[in-house]
Amino acid sequence: MTDVMADRSAVGPDPEVTPGETRSGPRPAPPTQRQARRRGQLAAWAFLAPFMVAFVLFVIWPLIHGIYLSLTDQSLTGTGGSFIGLQNYSEALSDAVMWRSIGNTVWFTVITTVPLVLFALIMALLVNTGLPGQWLWRLSFFMPFLLASTVISQIWVWIFNPEIGAANEILSAVGLEPIAWLQTANVDLISIAIATIWWTVGFNFLLYLAALQNIPTLQYEAAAVDGAGPWRQLFSITLPQLGPVTGVILILQMLASLKLFDQAYQMMDGNSSESSRPIVQYIFEAGFVGYRFGYASAISYIFFVLILLVGITQMIVLRRRKEDS
Amino acid sequence: MTELRVNRRSVLAGGLAAAGLAALSGCSPGQTGAARTLQFWHLLSGGDGIALQGLIDGVNSAHPEFHVRPTVLAWGAPYYTKLSMAGAGGRAPELAVMHSSRVPGYVPGGLLDPWDLNRFRELGVDESTFSEPVWNSSVVDGELYSVALDAHPFIALYNTEICEQAGALDSDGQLLRPSDPEEFREMCREIAGVTGTHGLSYGFIGDGQQMWRLFYTLYCQHGAQMTFPPGGQVEMDPEAFAAVLEFMHSLADGEIAAQRGTIDVAIAEFAAQRSGIHFTGVWELPAMQDAGVPVGATMIPPLFGGDAVYADSHSFVLPHQSEPDEQARNDTYTVVADLLKSSLTWAAAGHIPAYLPIVEDPAYAELTPQAEYAEAADYLVYDPVAWFTGSGSNFVQQFGQIVGGAVVSGSGYAEAAEGFRSYVNTMLAQPNPADPQGERS
Repeated sequence: MTDVMADRSAVGPDPEVTPGETRSGPRPAPPTQRQARRRGQLAAWAFLAPFMVAFVLFVIWPLIHGIYLSLTDQSLTGTGGSFIGLQNYSEALSDAVMWRSIGNTVWFTVITTVPLVLFALIMALLVNTGLPGQWLWRLSFFMPFLLASTVISQIWVWIFNPEIGAANEILSAVGLEPIAWLQTANVDLISIAIATIWWTVGFNFLLYLAALQNIPTLQYEAAAVDGAGPWRQLFSITLPQLGPVTGVILILQMLASLKLFDQAYQMMDGNSSESSRPIVQYIFEAGFVGYRFGYASAISYIFFVLILLVGITQMIVLRRRKEDS
Repeated sequence: MTELRVNRRSVLAGGLAAAGLAALSGCSPGQTGAARTLQFWHLLSGGDGIALQGLIDGVNSAHPEFHVRPTVLAWGAPYYTKLSMAGAGGRAPELAVMHSSRVPGYVPGGLLDPWDLNRFRELGVDESTFSEPVWNSSVVDGELYSVALDAHPFIALYNTEICEQAGALDSDGQLLRPSDPEEFREMCREIAGVTGTHGLSYGFIGDGQQMWRLFYTLYCQHGAQMTFPPGGQVEMDPEAFAAVLEFMHSLADGEIAAQRGTIDVAIAEFAAQRSGIHFTGVWELPAMQDAGVPVGATMIPPLFGGDAVYADSHSFVLPHQSEPDEQARNDTYTVVADLLKSSLTWAAAGHIPAYLPIVEDPAYAELTPQAEYAEAADYLVYDPVAWFTGSGSNFVQQFGQIVGGAVVSGSGYAEAAEGFRSYVNTMLAQPNPADPQGERS
């Protein structure tokens, strides 16, 4: 990874060439620097325009309009829409189901992020030890990630079937009581987490494997000469070198887990319980099933603020760590 | 020789032109000719969908002046969201199918237009051509908002061969009708002895809709009422409520029925002839016949007093149009009347036709086992009327959440009844979100 960064910095702007000048020599009537900069800015905006139009239309405008909606009693059916101040917010803040749903999403993020980092790391380390049939390992660990959420939901609904599912077959084979995986309160979200880990661990595995293969073998050779065994090498070379990629994986993973909706919605098949309903689904249900668009908007913004707080904290921590190092 | 030069601009220009053409062709009507197109949304897929398409084809070939174009959408909450949005926009399809139980929630929002009964009378459709429970479910605030195609009750399918071996059939080859819970459980145990697995297939776990269907059947068998007055307090019989939950728990004992049966497993078990009775909706009947099960069908026996059959109806509704085309509206009445009059084929899909002349037709009497449960039409009970109840609603899901624990664990029945009461009271205090300020009521 560091090699790639070094290469990239080599193709940066050439310090000897000022704007408006080319290597073949100055133009007959060179424009002033300000004109050139303005022209450059215009071109940049022109290139950005198609994106900006879509961004304003589909991100900025809904964001602003949503704030307005959250202050009204707008119904999906077109009725309502009168200004009711912060009533939606005060209702949401005292809505136990909303807090439970936010709690579910946070709990899901915790119970998926930790194993998704740990398992991916262990899998990558094992594959990187030079097991025979590398391609087979890489393929089989990564393959589930290529499946659509609908497909994995179907697969796991059958595995978790309380009467004929494979999961309970295994439990009874080792002499344990069968569980109604998706139908028992508090177990249901863990079941969804298990399916999610199986589904997405391959992506993190691949990131780790790439990072592992980027560590120069030179360092291991030097360490070996100094008498470091495999465990010492793991803790003194490999894990420290994987620090940056672990940071990236953690951030990606947290964002993905906080967005939980597809597999939870599909696996519960319209029978979400209070212990399995993620906040995004509650927003969807309030708006599109319950028709309360104003209320759904208010919940979205409460969740938005919470994520913002998480993001800012993360940024501060990362920046402080960078300064420390 | 001229060289064909392909540069980035020409590719972009060509791409844009092609995209423009594609967009334009998307605007052209799919139906050529002078026939008027009537858009028809429905939620019937699988075997039901094929049967309905047959009926639509019949109507289309009888009426060259218009063409009914169906759009099939997956049933459940998303269907009702799409339909209400279409109605809210005022440019809805000409005709749609809804569950009757959902209609009361839609009317106050102005999402549906009422039918003109006089126009239907001219076509031979009126209150005398429907059974009383079915007709009552179609009328909201004195206006006709839906016209039922069928009633699809929750019944008992049974495997005639297995039940015969277990001695559970009467002299006419019909399933015995035990009149108290223990007698029924005993019968199921006998059947379980024959199958070696379970006597009864009933999938309910994690499925509020399935729990509600059986629960409400048995609750109403007590002669108990459940009414949801808007803005008021629920009126219900907590003792009957608890008694039904206790009975439901007693079925899921691992012998009579699976302890943790889901709807899929119940269907698979009965189709594989590993149980003798299946509590299910009539719509499962064709699949069981196709699977080669020797299947009979009857109402769920009156275990708690009287007969009562939980049901819902697929009904025709007029989604709200701001500027309806009069000609298209007229055609829509013709389509509905024609579909009702040809609904004998619909009965083959298991449903009880709502249009009485079909049920009284001798051809219907020859349909077995459909004719065996035709009398259910007189004992139908629909969901308690409120804006939040009905098939595929949050209400049934919540019901499952509230009582599920008690049914599985076998304790806390009274608490479940209280939990249900407080949930319903909360809902009753809330305005109908389709019309939060009562602007359109």
